[in-house]
Amino acid sequence: MKLLKGLFEDAPLATRREITPKLGLALTVLLAIVWLIPFLWMVVATLRPASDGINTMAELIPSAKPTLDNIRDAWEIGDFPRYFLNTTFICTGILLVQFVTITLAGFAFARLAFSGKTLIFYLFLMQLMLVPVLLIVPNLRLVAQLGLYDTLTGVMMPFFASAFGTFLMRQAFEAIPTELEDAALIDGAGLLQRIRHIYVPLSLPSFSAFAIISVTSHWNDFLWPLMVINSPDKRPLTVGLSVFTATAEGTQAWGTIAAGTLMVIAPLLITFLIFQKRFISSFVTSGIK
Amino acid sequence: MLFSRRLMLGLAMAGALAFPALAEGPTEIDLFFPVPVDGKLARDMGTLIKEFNETHSDIKATAVYTGSYDDTLIKTRAAIKAGKPPAAVIMSANFLLDMQIENELTNLDSLIAADGVTKEQFLGQFFPALQGNAVINRSVYGVPFHNSTPLLYINADQAKEAGLDPNKPPQTWAELTDWAKKLTKREGDKVTRWGIAIPCAYDYCGWMMESLTMSNGGRYYNEEFGGEVYYDTPSMLGALTWWNDLVAKHKVHAPGATPGPAVSTSFISGNAAMMMLSTGSLTYVRDNAKFAYKVAFIPRNVRNAVPIGGASLIIPAGLEADKQKAAWRLIKWMTSPEKSAWWSRATGYFAPNMAAYKTPDMIDFLNKNPDAKTAVEQLDVAKPWFATYKTVPVRKTLEDEVMLVLNGKKQPKEALAAAQKAADELLKPYNAETSLKLP
Repeated sequence: MKLLKGLFEDAPLATRREITPKLGLALTVLLAIVWLIPFLWMVVATLRPASDGINTMAELIPSAKPTLDNIRDAWEIGDFPRYFLNTTFICTGILLVQFVTITLAGFAFARLAFSGKTLIFYLFLMQLMLVPVLLIVPNLRLVAQLGLYDTLTGVMMPFFASAFGTFLMRQAFEAIPTELEDAALIDGAGLLQRIRHIYVPLSLPSFSAFAIISVTSHWNDFLWPLMVINSPDKRPLTVGLSVFTATAEGTQAWGTIAAGTLMVIAPLLITFLIFQKRFISSFVTSGIK
Repeated sequence: MLFSRRLMLGLAMAGALAFPALAEGPTEIDLFFPVPVDGKLARDMGTLIKEFNETHSDIKATAVYTGSYDDTLIKTRAAIKAGKPPAAVIMSANFLLDMQIENELTNLDSLIAADGVTKEQFLGQFFPALQGNAVINRSVYGVPFHNSTPLLYINADQAKEAGLDPNKPPQTWAELTDWAKKLTKREGDKVTRWGIAIPCAYDYCGWMMESLTMSNGGRYYNEEFGGEVYYDTPSMLGALTWWNDLVAKHKVHAPGATPGPAVSTSFISGNAAMMMLSTGSLTYVRDNAKFAYKVAFIPRNVRNAVPIGGASLIIPAGLEADKQKAAWRLIKWMTSPEKSAWWSRATGYFAPNMAAYKTPDMIDFLNKNPDAKTAVEQLDVAKPWFATYKTVPVRKTLEDEVMLVLNGKKQPKEALAAAQKAADELLKPYNAETSLKLP
């Protein structure tokens, strides 16, 4: 209601009578509902007892006798706390190394002068065009040769450098006035000091935008961890979850799947709700819309 | 002195050499397994392997979950190429030929011979219908582990209500069409209950097409040679046209390509009165159906015939000898009558080992659940499952086209011609190396 009030009464005089913002709002609400329906279904299905029968499975109306059985089943089938830990470890590990590599590489492409810079940069960008599936066998062979088969480090390894991240940081660093760097140079700051004290603090929105993209994509990655990991105790969430979503012969326990999915997305969802404002503003200021 | 000093020294040396081998502990092996039905079976697989480890102290096997049948093939291949082959894999039975062509499989003949049995004796334990996908060029490459055939599931309550006798299920396509018409319920133009549901999603779609084509007197591929598929043939055209007629002409089958889980869900919920699905879904149906149901053979147009499905145990190529031996012991244990009977009861797949049906637990079980017999009986008319060079892409060329037909975007004739063309293209390199390589 506050939203409506803001639109109709507190809006600037010039836009108060306009139709466009109202249409925009209506569209947003509509999109939000469309987005919310599968989510609601998942919550409802999670709490629905199996005794309600499969007929009611598609309904959005919650069961009269909600149960936690599905959550218990899903919890027992998979070692979820460990999967959480593994996924978190993979995502943060990748991100921390990426921060170092994309900062240095982005800086090199933005500010350093070296021969063949443009060519190398384009070669770098070409990596974005490759479908990751193509690289599975060569990457796996390399990971095995390094003795990292069936290790979490092996899962993280191919993503330590990021073409997208380098590109993003290059754009961010180029937008920073060189005068700032010159001033630091006069004060006697070395190369790394300049990066640390001038470029990094001024590019924080780009870093957080990249962090979101990196974490969500690796959180959701399935095929690569499936290839590298053998030991059940090293599975990330996606592989653990697929134990009960993938079927070969055409049957599915929807309640358990819903419960498992809910458990998998919960941490990301909660993080998003807590840092909502931050997330959105980082995308706005870094220019990704 | 009875023992010379030299002999003593020699013994000590021999002891020192032999000892580290013993001190190394059990041979560690990995078994890759896809999930055939649902998550509970992942737990059952854990139970099975735990029991194996407890009864075999010198081997430590780990069950590694590897996704769908297609994912399992990708993971196994990647692991072999990376030099880290698993010791054993539960592999979709129709991938064996392709893997053998690529030299990715261990020939099991010498392991069988080392046990002092002949190939015939070894294979004689299993239903004859399963051997086509396990034996390549007269060598054994796989051991059948859990297998299936497609079945016709009928909602008996709805059949009675429509004036049909569920104890006399439809035996021909004409009867099936007739049943489906009588079982479909409409309110105006809207269908409230479909007469029949047949799944069409990757993997399933090709299997159903093979089943229908075989019931129509045809073949899907050359069973003797990996370079030929028979998509653009009258028998397959008839099969696809009949399937499409159920959708477009009689309107008793929901339009579009329906994945397996959606088919079983609509059958269980009463929204589809009949379905064609694997016997691997039987346990699920038994546990969830709130009505009387019947299972029957897939009806024929020309003859009764179905492909087998399911998976075999294989040993990838390039494994160390001790791991190979440990894997072989695991495979023999898993396919023994007791274990394969236990797994069959848990999943609904039938046990490939014929002796499994003579174990007391199984006799008991079949008395209580006579529906579990149908798939076994249907084995008499079962034939091998589609297998060529590059099985998965070749299968997908047909599946993509069948999906277009069921979605009303293409006619059967042109779809099959397109599928044949695409498949021939994929098979070209193999044919160039084999059937077209002339002296």
